[in-house]
Amino acid sequence: MSSRRTNNALLRFVLLPTIFLTVALLGGVRVLTQGGALVFLPPPLVTLVLAVMLLVLFARGGAVRFGGWLSADNTPAENVSHALTLAALFFASAQAFNSVLPEAGLPRLVLAFFFLWTLWQNQFSQFDARRLLRSLAALFGTAFVVKHLLLASLYGRGEGWLSRLAAAALEGVTLGTLSGPAYADSTGYISFFALALYVCGLALLPPTPGGEAGLPEGGAAQLARALARLPAVERERVLDAFETQGAPALPKGEGRARPTAEITGEVVGLPATDEEGAG
Amino acid sequence: MRQRLIQWVGIAWTFIYAALVVWLYANAPQSLGDVATHASVAAGTYEVDRARFDAGRELFLREQYAAARGEWERADPARRDARTQFYVAYSFYRQGWGRVYNDDALFREGLEAAERANALSPDAPLAVEDPELKIHTAAELRAELAGGLQRTPEDFNPLKVFRERK
Repeated sequence: MSSRRTNNALLRFVLLPTIFLTVALLGGVRVLTQGGALVFLPPPLVTLVLAVMLLVLFARGGAVRFGGWLSADNTPAENVSHALTLAALFFASAQAFNSVLPEAGLPRLVLAFFFLWTLWQNQFSQFDARRLLRSLAALFGTAFVVKHLLLASLYGRGEGWLSRLAAAALEGVTLGTLSGPAYADSTGYISFFALALYVCGLALLPPTPGGEAGLPEGGAAQLARALARLPAVERERVLDAFETQGAPALPKGEGRARPTAEITGEVVGLPATDEEGAG
Repeated sequence: MRQRLIQWVGIAWTFIYAALVVWLYANAPQSLGDVATHASVAAGTYEVDRARFDAGRELFLREQYAAARGEWERADPARRDARTQFYVAYSFYRQGWGRVYNDDALFREGLEAAERANALSPDAPLAVEDPELKIHTAAELRAELAGGLQRTPEDFNPLKVFRERK
């Protein structure tokens, strides 16, 4: 067995579940300011809904092909392992959202709505795996900044006149629903680590178990899919254009070797040609 | 062969790690020390710190009830020892008992501790043989605490001031 196959197996069966389970563990961990006690917050219902939407988005964007991960062609052990990895991915997604959603009040409502709206909009957009990953990194990054930098500075008020002024102003705008539990700075570090790990896990996750991690879909497959989506008339035009202009030829030595077979036989009942007769 | 080994190791590892995550969320330990305590309870190796328990008993006999409870809290951080919980309930009873009226808040906490002690000895009724105590079973202590929380016409009996603390 080559080292490539060993590494691939280690990634699929050990590393990816470990990464996603670690995110699932750390996503709900908070550290209280008073006493430094640990708090474990299980995923709330809204984050489970967001995680489902995200998995659908993964499937639509081609980042995860569920048919390849769970297939009748796989061995039972492979299917069990892949199912565990996908379950870990689901809970990691839910806890990644949990990690960046404020705990209570208006900010939580606004940010949850922002996530729902963005994921719902994305369901109808054209994505490839790499663009989806970049979009998710930006989404989680924005939410992280809002929760752990902006809101955390407002929760931990009383340090400067500017922050006190902003807090007082926002308190009025948000009808007093800005207050939240006071968490220690280490909560932000844990959340940052969890999100970074989650994005790394997604980058390592191949669309199908045998595929290469993080590589975009091949141009030919994209072209074929785009062609299939065109209306029949448009498709005709594209094919006509290829016929009239001619498809660009591949350089010598490139391209797939096509198998050729020589068919030999004797046609019975036909008059023999001159050549055959001479032979 | 090697790939199959990695597969099975991966499956086993994933199950163990997932169980650990679920366990952490279910038990919600507040510190790393708590993690160790909960783990020893789960592994069945949990034991009460006998020295701290005795120190708590000494304080209890000197009527330093809050300090005694502090020692017992450290002796039995997981609250898994029926005998320690019995003493905790007893300390709440003695501290909350009053000749004219009882402290309901302390009695309520005592009742909770007595119920914990009862629940921790499901096979046989918990009996504590201590000559310094006047109540020796968890059921008796529980009844005493529950009775102290009830409002009855007997509460207005002036002769009540002559009753004795157990």
